[in-house]
Amino acid sequence: MAGISFFKSIRKVIGLAAAVVVLSAPFAGQVHAADFVTTVKDDSGWKLQVNGEDFYIKGVVWSYSPRGKNYSYNLWAESDDFIRKVLDYEFGMMAAAGINANRSFTVIPPEWVEYIYREHGIMSVINPLMGRYGASIGGKWVPFTDYSDELTRATLKTEVLEVIEKYKNTPGVLMFALGNESNYGLSWSSFEIENLPEGEQNTAKARYLYSLFAEVIEAGQKIAPNHPFTIVNGDIQYIDLIAEYLADMPILGTNVYRGKSFTSLWRDVDEKLDMPIVFFEFGSDAFNAREMEEDQVAQAEILKAQWQEMYNKAAGNGEEGNAIGGFVFEWRDEWWKYLQTENLDVQDTNASWSNQAYLFDWAEGENNMNEEWFGITALGTKNADGVYTARQRMAYDVLAEIWHMDPYTYKKAAFNQEINDLDMDLYALKGEVRQLKAESKEQKSRLRFEGGSLIGELVVKGEEESIRIDGENALEFENGQMVFLDIGFNPNQKIEGQMSINILGNVANKEPLEIAYGRRALPVDLVVERDPLPEEAEFLPPDARVTDVVSFDDRERIEIYDFNAKYEGDEWDIEAFYHTPRYHWMNEGDFFGLVRETTDMAGQDIWNAKAPSGVEFAGKEGWGDGLKVLAGDEVFWGANPKVILKYSWNWGRTQFTFMHDEDIARRGDSASATQATEIQTRRTTLYAKRDFAAGWTLEVGGIFASNEKIDDTFTRYEDGTIYLDQIKDEDTLGARVKLTFPVFGHRTWIGGHYAGLVADGGDVLREFGIMDPTMIPYSQWGNKMEFDAGMNITFGNIMLTPRVMYRENLVDANPSIPAEINPNPNLGELFPGIGPRNRDDDPFAVLDNREARSAEIFLTYDPTGETFFYEWDNDYKEDAKFAFNLGGNYTEYPTATDSFQFFSLLSNSNAAFGTGLPSENVWSASSRMVFNPTQRNKYIVQLKGGFQQSSGNAEGGSREFYELHGKVILRNKHVIEGYFKKDAWGPYDFHRQFNVVFPEQFKLDYSVILDGSGFQPRETRGTGTRVGIRTLYRGYDPEDEMTFGESQEGLSDYQFMTVFYVEYVF
Amino acid sequence: MKTAYQLVLLAFAALVVTGCSERDSNDGEVIDNILLPTDVVLNLFCPDVGINDETCVLADPENPFSVTAIPEPDQVPEDDDGNPLLDDKFALAAALPQGPTGAKARFYLWATALARRQTGENQWYTARALHELYDANSNLIFEDELIKEHAKRAYRSVLDNFFGQVTFFNVFGEVIPVQLNEQTARDVIYGPPEGFRPLVSSVLEGLALIGEWGYTYNEQNDTLSKNQ
Repeated sequence: MAGISFFKSIRKVIGLAAAVVVLSAPFAGQVHAADFVTTVKDDSGWKLQVNGEDFYIKGVVWSYSPRGKNYSYNLWAESDDFIRKVLDYEFGMMAAAGINANRSFTVIPPEWVEYIYREHGIMSVINPLMGRYGASIGGKWVPFTDYSDELTRATLKTEVLEVIEKYKNTPGVLMFALGNESNYGLSWSSFEIENLPEGEQNTAKARYLYSLFAEVIEAGQKIAPNHPFTIVNGDIQYIDLIAEYLADMPILGTNVYRGKSFTSLWRDVDEKLDMPIVFFEFGSDAFNAREMEEDQVAQAEILKAQWQEMYNKAAGNGEEGNAIGGFVFEWRDEWWKYLQTENLDVQDTNASWSNQAYLFDWAEGENNMNEEWFGITALGTKNADGVYTARQRMAYDVLAEIWHMDPYTYKKAAFNQEINDLDMDLYALKGEVRQLKAESKEQKSRLRFEGGSLIGELVVKGEEESIRIDGENALEFENGQMVFLDIGFNPNQKIEGQMSINILGNVANKEPLEIAYGRRALPVDLVVERDPLPEEAEFLPPDARVTDVVSFDDRERIEIYDFNAKYEGDEWDIEAFYHTPRYHWMNEGDFFGLVRETTDMAGQDIWNAKAPSGVEFAGKEGWGDGLKVLAGDEVFWGANPKVILKYSWNWGRTQFTFMHDEDIARRGDSASATQATEIQTRRTTLYAKRDFAAGWTLEVGGIFASNEKIDDTFTRYEDGTIYLDQIKDEDTLGARVKLTFPVFGHRTWIGGHYAGLVADGGDVLREFGIMDPTMIPYSQWGNKMEFDAGMNITFGNIMLTPRVMYRENLVDANPSIPAEINPNPNLGELFPGIGPRNRDDDPFAVLDNREARSAEIFLTYDPTGETFFYEWDNDYKEDAKFAFNLGGNYTEYPTATDSFQFFSLLSNSNAAFGTGLPSENVWSASSRMVFNPTQRNKYIVQLKGGFQQSSGNAEGGSREFYELHGKVILRNKHVIEGYFKKDAWGPYDFHRQFNVVFPEQFKLDYSVILDGSGFQPRETRGTGTRVGIRTLYRGYDPEDEMTFGESQEGLSDYQFMTVFYVEYVF
Repeated sequence: MKTAYQLVLLAFAALVVTGCSERDSNDGEVIDNILLPTDVVLNLFCPDVGINDETCVLADPENPFSVTAIPEPDQVPEDDDGNPLLDDKFALAAALPQGPTGAKARFYLWATALARRQTGENQWYTARALHELYDANSNLIFEDELIKEHAKRAYRSVLDNFFGQVTFFNVFGEVIPVQLNEQTARDVIYGPPEGFRPLVSSVLEGLALIGEWGYTYNEQNDTLSKNQ
């Protein structure tokens, strides 16, 4: 309540200031100074005034969301030229309709707030979300903001005040609004609140929320006394708390979805709060969920009624007089709203929530609110400037008529007369014609060509010895061309998909420095035997055959690169996929990692691998809800042909997941060049998870795997004796438990994992996903008793992540002891010896599941938690001026391994290296740093070093290596990236598998983006038109036997290659 | 929290229950010393045992080498002076008892080597061992027809599956390459130089048998070719 008197004083000051401004307006430059915005109240009611003029807010909620993009799209990272084109198109159309204000969830940079105001006369609400969808607290991303936490409150307050400071003098700022329906997001839990009766828990949380609002508004008003402050409440929930904590707030901001009328809201607010009302969201979707079709009329009718009521409730009309306008939700449809990361190219028709106030499509027990259809304009196709167009719906025309009237200048009877007289049939017809025209255009593209890319490259390469002998003549020149054609299809509302076709022209042979597309279409020599020709026969013995070498260079020049089709039914979704990214299921109950993530498409393209490939059925309704079936010949990279069934359900507050994974065959070839294949097997898991109060989570799981190996024999060596043993039933069982809990507020976890000899699981979920720098030696294989623990300790923007692991094997690796035969001339006696096992000849082997003691710590500094440092696309997204991590790992392997295997192309089967890796103590250290000196320039540096073993071949021993990787993006247009590696393994997996290292490796790649698309997250292709040059260099150790052949028997010290490339995206 | 404790207890109970997979000296069978078979009666564990690419010999309980590493020469590690650190398959074979008492063990050794690495050399030695067993188990009155036919199949597999491959004989310290095509033909037609009982009753029958298999042996040139 301390803020009340303060607000009163401020109002006086604002009033005086406003008067000064009004008086001095004739002498001021046009909209170059900050505006004075205030509320005034007289007997007729409340008004908002801008620079002393009445200002009834005729606003829309605006964002620019292109097709195929979601919330992560950042218009402000585009070129200024493109931003201007977008703003001129969007706000030009708004201004034509009479819109005078906008509200945006993405904070519009100050210069563009001013531009929109100056060029189009439209003001902007600055709307910090204040932790509504999570917040970075102490360097850690917290998804459910705890407004009771002192650090959280201080952090949010500081952040909002920084925003206010930044915008306080920006022309075009209408007001500051905080949060977005934050009262609906009180999801955190704490001991204190959990102990309250259930009915009081949310109210207790809301007190923390509104008291924080009051604190921030009080401090913000001191910084920006020339603008009003408000909140974005969800309807008028907790109005009593608002009255208690925010009584002197100048405006009540609220999002209201009550259908055609706001019902008693005006009166309720008038009675409890002495403040005007602005709607930050209201409106209707334009999709009829019952008829499953666009319904412009229903939307327009609702919006017309809402605005008519808002005009009547404006000051001077003899009613409550507390309406000062609102922002229609929303300007244009956004195609990412449903599912948010999927179907971004398609406007989903799924209704995701139910609201009985929208009677035109409401039905008992059914959802009727279609999130992707709320625009008063629809999302069209691109115009000549590359800007996605807005197709006006009927509501746009109707509201344009209403917005051209001002409730303060029109008499009540006059605007009511005009609104009542609107020719709705005519506007319906106009909207329908526009819709038909747009649909006709889209219909033509039900099987549509969506674009593609053309890639050309010119390669020059050489190596030292040849150049020394032949000079420039030893340089080899190659050229290559490749075309991708992208085709989309959408035969009906329930089926949509896409495919890409890849066509090769010439293929540049860039080996050995680069391998691409599994050597597809490169010439292959075949030896063909035939009868001798008559002229040959006379020189040959009878019956002799001759051989010819025939070169084939037209292999697989055309292929389907990827394919995806999805059917969305009422009860089932079915998706067929072929070489399109898919994610793991570890966050949906796959505790043992049976389904691996396959997102490294660029890595697969090296070998022309085509995973994932298969079909997924996902139940949605009734008994099918929670059921998923995944089947295919390679459902993740390297998988055997298999079927996986998963069923998840809740029992009380505990989530359960049952999974069964059945291989149907063994794959016949390697997933890459030399990655060993795995035998056909099966696994069944059961998992339970329960969240408790105060951040405690318990996860428990069991696994039953590889029962086909029961009774298989294996040898083991113990105390100088060789045993012949068998796999037993209990060897197929495993169990895992993980407990997550806070320690002094820091997330902490401990886990135990027991796995019988053949209880093999899958991938282990890394804490931070694929960007996790951890080198803790997690393993999918059984034969282990494992314990691990870790913490996320946060201090401000710094996070420390210590992790430890201890693992023992149930049966150790076999030593290598040769067989001997007692050379008795009559009676043989065999000492059979023993050798390292391998996974083909033995039921199990000790490989990366070997005994280990590992500890590591990483320090992460990231002041902007919204762009989490370990997100897969952080290179692209990170927006902190400076963020970095630094850490290292030390691991002891006290015992040797059994024999790793590789896939031999000669025998087309696995082969064992024969010996295991010896015991070793290894270490690694790394750091990644991201600098953003300005919004469009970025520098990323990564340092790595270590002493590590190979992943297969023991020859050559452990390696100490150092690496420097760098990436520079200038003006979001020039991209320079490269690396320097010292004594490191080569770039491909087989280099480490065979322990092949090079004294130096160097790469430098420069490209310039020509089409304004800007630097994009990692994708394989098609992100933008560019030209570039790339140079690779590889040094050789002449004494190294592993590279003896490649280095011309040690005579060449180096090899290099330069590639000029152009990629045209159309 | 009560349920949490129950779940934790359940999890650790599961660990304890399943935690009996660790092995000790009471598990398994000690196999430090295996007596090699000295008899000459070979039970064919499966119809194609010892014939490429059947690997059932690895599961044959009578096979003393089923768990024994039988290193190929290229799998033998060497010390810094190039001396082998363990016996390869030839060294193991050489240590077997000579004559009929070692014939069955020889079969198992080479058939196991063949199952582990499919080469003409391993197939030929397996055929030779079968031939030796046939010889050892036959006399003027009785002929082991089963093993005789099996030996023929093993020889034929050398030609069908490993045509053109070679092996190496150590002759008085000198390593010389031997063409397995012709060596196999000679073994079938004339019998091996060790004097084993021939698998055919005459040279003509031997030549005809080679012809039946789809090959022609030229006695003059000692060459074997595939029939067209």
